[in-house]
Amino acid sequence: MAFASATAAVLAMARKDLTLLTRNRGALFFTFGWPVIMALAFGTIFGGMGGERGRIPVAVVDEDGTPESARLVERLRATEGLEVAAATREEAERLVRTGKRTAAVILPGGYGEASGRLFYGEPRRLEIAVDPARVAEAAMLEGILTGAAMQSMQDLFGDRRRSTEMVNKALADLAASPDGPRRLPTERFLGELKTFLAQPPEAKAPGGSTGAGAGSGWKPVAIEKRALQAERRGPANPFEVTFPQGMLWGVIASALGFAVSLVTERTRGTLMRLQTAPVSRAHVLAGKALACLAAIAAVLALLVGMGWAFFGVRPASPALLALAAASLAVCFVGIMMVVAVLGKTEQSAGGLGWAIMMPLTLFGGGMVPLFAMPRWMQAAGSVSPVKWGILALEGAIWRGFGLAELLLPCAVLLAVGAVGFVLGARLFAAEG
Amino acid sequence: MLTLTNVRKRYGATVALDGLSLSVRPGEILGLLGPNGAGKSTTVNLSVGLIAPDEGQVSLGALGSPRDPTARRRVGVAPQALAIYEQLTAEENLRFFGRVYGLSGAALAGRVDWALDFAALRDRRRDRAATYSGGMKRRLNLVAALVHDPELVLLDEPTVGVDPQSRNAILERILELRRLGRTVVYTTHYMEEAERLCDRVAVVDHGRLLALGTVPELLRAHGGEPVLVARVGSEVRRVPAPDPARALLDLLATGHLDDFHLERANLETVFLSLTGRSLRD
Repeated sequence: MAFASATAAVLAMARKDLTLLTRNRGALFFTFGWPVIMALAFGTIFGGMGGERGRIPVAVVDEDGTPESARLVERLRATEGLEVAAATREEAERLVRTGKRTAAVILPGGYGEASGRLFYGEPRRLEIAVDPARVAEAAMLEGILTGAAMQSMQDLFGDRRRSTEMVNKALADLAASPDGPRRLPTERFLGELKTFLAQPPEAKAPGGSTGAGAGSGWKPVAIEKRALQAERRGPANPFEVTFPQGMLWGVIASALGFAVSLVTERTRGTLMRLQTAPVSRAHVLAGKALACLAAIAAVLALLVGMGWAFFGVRPASPALLALAAASLAVCFVGIMMVVAVLGKTEQSAGGLGWAIMMPLTLFGGGMVPLFAMPRWMQAAGSVSPVKWGILALEGAIWRGFGLAELLLPCAVLLAVGAVGFVLGARLFAAEG
Repeated sequence: MLTLTNVRKRYGATVALDGLSLSVRPGEILGLLGPNGAGKSTTVNLSVGLIAPDEGQVSLGALGSPRDPTARRRVGVAPQALAIYEQLTAEENLRFFGRVYGLSGAALAGRVDWALDFAALRDRRRDRAATYSGGMKRRLNLVAALVHDPELVLLDEPTVGVDPQSRNAILERILELRRLGRTVVYTTHYMEEAERLCDRVAVVDHGRLLALGTVPELLRAHGGEPVLVARVGSEVRRVPAPDPARALLDLLATGHLDDFHLERANLETVFLSLTGRSLRD
């Protein structure tokens, strides 16, 4: 049979199986719905949606050591959305790299001095170092820091002595500085501000004078943000643990669906019809496997997309994740090929499939995270391809595996898959 | 068109075919009759290349062995089971099977239209097969074997479980296949269908060919002589009648007859006389 005809036949069989999948609500749910539920439900149960999620853990470095910088640190400590730990710059960066803190907030030298230059000159400067994967948290932190700076200004003007000293210093600095286009309006504004501050509190009009035009374009604080790549030695959130589990369930459900569909073909007689067509048994299996792999790709894409968009699951390496997912798919499609041949009815194939998969999943970390298991179960789990599948997915998502580290779990998965393919194909051929 | 020569096939200790030889002529409808376990399904499976013989040869004439995928392209089979995808529409089913046989484009579309017309399913072409009646599913099962325009068609009890109207429609279509020049191997347990359709009938049992010929030939060879049954008063006389008219005249010469009729063997009589009356479960 010509290659083109064989390819067309295989594609036709894959397309037919995918169409049948979309018309089987039960199979559709277990292939796409159940893995999503697994990923979301357990992620939520393990704390992903509540409790501490709103508090951003940050390390704060006070390199300025002035009363102004100390006041900001205290203000940050009092901020509800932050969990603050004091650290040196090196410690803070290490904490961010190891994923123990989301960001480091650094108050560099000169912060206190810049606090006395309100409305002119360089504003106060803050540095934040944040994992680039934490886009949302970084934006929230910037907002919190800007708000804290504004609050410190409000406090300053509530203290007549400090604010008058600050205005006097500013006027003296301006007098000593060269002329510039904004000098005159700023001097006029500061003069009005000094008069305003000298009045007793009851004489001040609500809102006070702002000196129109003065200080326009000036910022209360300049925040310098820089990326600090986390080493990802632990999951950033519970969803990074549960989404790999969801992916695993998606692969298992797709592969089991493939196994049962092959048995259905046999019991309904369509397999006989296909086998009497000018295609080989290998083509029939290839069509099934292609449909199965397409379904797996779809469910994995769904989970990766959902995790990325809504649950902070950011694979450290999308390329390695693709490799891990492909290895996982090959492994379980191979296992299910054997199940498909051994199961003589849909019920027996389904029962056999789950009978094989349940212990493998239980011991392999497909239900309970490996780190939460007793040591003996973790050791026993090494014989389960589920463990290697989870390890490969987690390696690509948050364990920070390189290609070399990913090779072992992928090799195990591919080897199990290859054994399944060969055994299944031989058993299938022997049926004839 | 199809020739089996001294074919033997075993399944473990069970002998399915024991030196079966059979030849199907181009353009004929050959009825394949036999009790359960006689070897009919094995014969069909060998003929479409699903299995290989332990001994002997199976040939599709100039096309070669049915194990060769190129030869199988010219063969169609409609299994007894409804080998269709019920969650697909009739059109989707036919398109799929057509593609598997290498059809595409306009050729595929043309054959799908022909098949839908042949099965009288054009109006329901976009409905899922699960919504069809039993007769409609049977017709779809039949045309799924014809969509690639095979020269040899093997039909395994294609009228099981359908109402008389659907059965008649299916039989009419099989006769139409003969008019179109197709060769048909027709497996059935319904003797009247074989009598109506088949040019020749092969009776197999225990993996061997017991008889092969046209229905009249089989009746003559295995049906025994006609019997004239006459009633005189309360007495019923059964008289062997190789020449029924002479036998009737001879009987009338002996006196008055109240009633009479002639009993002739039919295909079922032949079948039972060849294969016995013991149950085959």
